[in-house]
Amino acid sequence: MSVNEMARMKFYCDDDRCIDCNGCSVACAEAHELPTGITRRKVITLNEGIEGKEVSTSVACMHCTDAPCEQVCPVDCFYIREDGIVLHDKKTCIGCGYCLYACPFGAPQFPRDGAFGTKGAMDKCTMCAGGPEETNSIEERELYGQNRIAEGKVPMCAAMCSTKALLVGDAQEVSKIYRARIAAKGKGVQSAPYGWSKAYGA
Amino acid sequence: MKKYILLLLGSFLLASVAYAADSQIWGEMRVENILAYGKEGSLKLGSLFTMLQSNYFAKIFLAILVGVPSVFLLHYLVIGPKVFSHDGKKIYAFNIFHRIVHQIAAISFIVLVPTGFIMTFGSTFGGGEFVRMMKDLHGLATVTFAIVVIPMFLMWLKNMLPTFDDIKWMMIVGGYLSKVKRPVPAGKFNAGQKAWYWFATLGGMVMILTGAIMYFMDFNIPMINEVTGLSQIDLLRASAILHAVVGFVIVALFFTHIYMAVFAIKGAIHSIITGYKEEEEVKILHSSWYKKLKKEGKV
Repeated sequence: MSVNEMARMKFYCDDDRCIDCNGCSVACAEAHELPTGITRRKVITLNEGIEGKEVSTSVACMHCTDAPCEQVCPVDCFYIREDGIVLHDKKTCIGCGYCLYACPFGAPQFPRDGAFGTKGAMDKCTMCAGGPEETNSIEERELYGQNRIAEGKVPMCAAMCSTKALLVGDAQEVSKIYRARIAAKGKGVQSAPYGWSKAYGA
Repeated sequence: MKKYILLLLGSFLLASVAYAADSQIWGEMRVENILAYGKEGSLKLGSLFTMLQSNYFAKIFLAILVGVPSVFLLHYLVIGPKVFSHDGKKIYAFNIFHRIVHQIAAISFIVLVPTGFIMTFGSTFGGGEFVRMMKDLHGLATVTFAIVVIPMFLMWLKNMLPTFDDIKWMMIVGGYLSKVKRPVPAGKFNAGQKAWYWFATLGGMVMILTGAIMYFMDFNIPMINEVTGLSQIDLLRASAILHAVVGFVIVALFFTHIYMAVFAIKGAIHSIITGYKEEEEVKILHSSWYKKLKKEGKV
């Protein structure tokens, strides 16, 4: 990541490289010790079975610009860091589900709580940046998982991606890598990757 | 035990499939949901919900919360309440069954409305444990309301069908804009009460249904999706929108109902407690019913 004051963290999955191995999803679940039934990151395949058009890509919370989840939350439990990472406070969340309705990616998930099966506090990808609790405290880890960003590490999913399809980091750095890949291949058009415009605007 | 009551309430289907089925939101359907979001030619419920929820819903609820009681305060100060003699004869209007059903619905509403407001203005209350508890109470009160909504719908249905009196009643706004006690055209229930009845029962059923959909969230009842033509996630979005819009009307009419029973017609609330209405009150405010009772020799 560059030492740019305007650093804006974004996810990008290169669907030319994604091989549908699901490693990111497993790594994420293991790193954050997620309960069963919660999958913060998921690999999806588009146009399945259509020759030449079938692509796989990895989706999680995209940490959108003007995040819709943040806009609809009735208890204002979301906060957006200066670097664009969208986080939320599980102690404030009431599990109403509105963020899920607003999300274009189906990212927010709700563990079932107690005998009534009520929705517990929402869980989603934190871009490995934890939550509002003290950084790297036991409480933060239990509620949100690892805070790798605070330790200067790359988020788990991108760190282990075997084909380096999944990239995360400052938006400019990510596009630089993306452009270099297109150039190296010598073919293809530089179209916005899947989900990019939905998450980050045109 | 509580769970058993829940199941009894027709939520049986919802509850059982909620756990058994493959997720309709995060499973295979997720790809379709993502692709459908904001798609040309679709209802664009995702962005519609986001726009309405972030800009309008809370503001409209606040306007109702402040506006409706303000109008009534003004009415009380300018026109004042209707006072009828409580020493005269009484007319039996509500039997024990009516009253019990009404009281269960009343208690449910006394819980449902404030807890709903607390959730709507959740950020003002700081969210967390307190608002979560209000959310659970909102769900529990739904159960008691769901028990009585159908009996209530049926027990008053015959009296609630529209009549010509209703048009006349609406033309003079039930006589509430005048201080003079003139017979008001209305049967056992006036047009205002009828409007409230239809919104409380049919609207109430919409609230129960949309609320239950949001509560159980990830269930799989293909019939609902086929009938509505909506995917599960869009069904949730539509439910959230409907729940708020029908909620506006129900809350506004609920405030009106309380104002009428407690303030605007002095002591009117006693009729649903004892079952008896004051003869003078019936003579003026339900003149058609009074005439009918007189003809039948019941007064």
